[in-house]
Amino acid sequence: MPLMQIQNLTMRFSGITAIEDLSFHIEESSITSLIGPNGAGKTSAFNCMTGFYRATSGDILFEGESLLGLKPYRITQKGIIRTFQNVRLFKNMTVLENVMSGAHSISRQSVFGALLRHPAERREEREIREAAEYYLGYVGILDKQNEVAKNLSYGDQRRTEWARALAAKPKLLLLDEPAAGLNREEKDRLVALIRRFRTDFGMTVFLIEHDMDLVMKVSEQVIVINFGTKIAEGTPFEVQSDPRVIEAYLGTDE
Amino acid sequence: MGFIKQTCHTALKPVRQAYGLLSENKRVQYIVCAALFAAMVAGPLFLGRYVIGVMWDAMFYMLLALGLNIIVGYCGLCDLGYAAKFAIGAYTTGICIQTFGLSFWLSLPVSVVMAIITAVLIGAPTLKLRSDYLAIVTLGFAEIVRITARNLEITGKATGLHSIERPSLFGLQLTKTEHWYYVFLVLVVAFIFISYRIRNSRFGRALAYIREDEDAAQAMGVNTTRYKLYAYMIGAVLGGITGSFYAVRMASISPTTFDFNQSANILLAVILGGMGKIPGVLAGAAFFAIFPELFRDIPVVGDMRMLFFGLLLVVVMILRPQGLWPERKKR
Repeated sequence: MPLMQIQNLTMRFSGITAIEDLSFHIEESSITSLIGPNGAGKTSAFNCMTGFYRATSGDILFEGESLLGLKPYRITQKGIIRTFQNVRLFKNMTVLENVMSGAHSISRQSVFGALLRHPAERREEREIREAAEYYLGYVGILDKQNEVAKNLSYGDQRRTEWARALAAKPKLLLLDEPAAGLNREEKDRLVALIRRFRTDFGMTVFLIEHDMDLVMKVSEQVIVINFGTKIAEGTPFEVQSDPRVIEAYLGTDE
Repeated sequence: MGFIKQTCHTALKPVRQAYGLLSENKRVQYIVCAALFAAMVAGPLFLGRYVIGVMWDAMFYMLLALGLNIIVGYCGLCDLGYAAKFAIGAYTTGICIQTFGLSFWLSLPVSVVMAIITAVLIGAPTLKLRSDYLAIVTLGFAEIVRITARNLEITGKATGLHSIERPSLFGLQLTKTEHWYYVFLVLVVAFIFISYRIRNSRFGRALAYIREDEDAAQAMGVNTTRYKLYAYMIGAVLGGITGSFYAVRMASISPTTFDFNQSANILLAVILGGMGKIPGVLAGAAFFAIFPELFRDIPVVGDMRMLFFGLLLVVVMILRPQGLWPERKKR
């Protein structure tokens, strides 16, 4: 059984159809990409998958269970973590505090723990902190842990967001245009990093991207959409040579 | 405007340097806190009744500001009716003592329960929506509470409740100004303790994530509706407790104490001090209590003190939009 199945997903906003009858699946431990030109409906699909939008019809199954109608935080608790297209950190908090938020969904102390600070609470706090430090080290910015997030360079903000996502130990990591704003060299490192996410933590990675080059390098399975519908699916090689894909990206030769 | 900014910037340089020294050295911080606390404890031995009264006032505002700070400063919710929370505590205690003959200490848990009930009644439907709606609802609710209190028999209508019996502690009836000074000092310390514990916990961080970016907080698995409700409840409980103590300290309460001005003052104290930062919130509250007193006796200026107060607020907000307390620097 695939880890995630999207079945006949349709999303309409008062008359405008962003996604129409989209079906695909994400295999466990794969790196899968959803690509398409600007305005093709990639982000809408992403928002449906993470509960930020409620799909008009169709179904989204994760490990066989429907995610439809669940709030984003419930979906996160099921082990699906997303990043945002335009990095959304908690700007006035430190980098460490940002990454500690990743552990929120897998820890449980609440108000009374905070006030009483009993041994279980102390232990959990220590674990959250150590995990956050570990993932900061993993993405290579442990030395910046006490800086306020908004003072970081763009590249480091991206790294912070990755560390934050990793700290949640997700089964499925959803990356929304992870290469946006990165230069050539950083993109190459990103490809290596995404591969490492899988080998080091055994997670499945799904990304949406319009940088063809990066997608072709990193993914095993590519789904191409345009105007909200799927136009091609397959390995990067298959997709690249598909005339409909070339048409969608380059336009037709009238 | 640039000129004013520049002048103040230069004038405040020594203050900033002193703060820099303070923030870098944990030990110095502890010493300063201990010294302040010792001064507060020893204060009544040397000071006159009037000064003790003003300091009590300052501590009373500190309690309210610390309570509201959980809602506004920690969680970023806009509450324009904090006076209602403290009115509910005050009236609950007043009614418990006068109508039902309970002792003050037994009325405290009743206040807490009432605070939680009202917080859930208001919070549960509104906190699901975007935070802006809370501002309107809390504003309206505060007026409802005040008008209801002015019209009900049990709350004493417009005259309020009078000669509420003062409680005793270890056989000592708390009647003197000094007694109340120490009771409120203990409360301030307790509220600061609670605030710090919440701030440095998974729960407190979740509130901060909501304040910073609600969508991102959801994406990290924070049940934002529930956590906002928790923050709102804690703020209401602290306000209710403050109200209960206020009722027995003053021995009389009336609806005029709980008008919109009161809510606005508490909110301003929190914003002025720097939302979320405890020392700043304390300073903001103290400033609010002490400033009008300083100018009371000066002729001409004394009559216009609220005007100066307003001007000063405007200047502070231009110079330090994040509040009086300096931004946390790199540790």
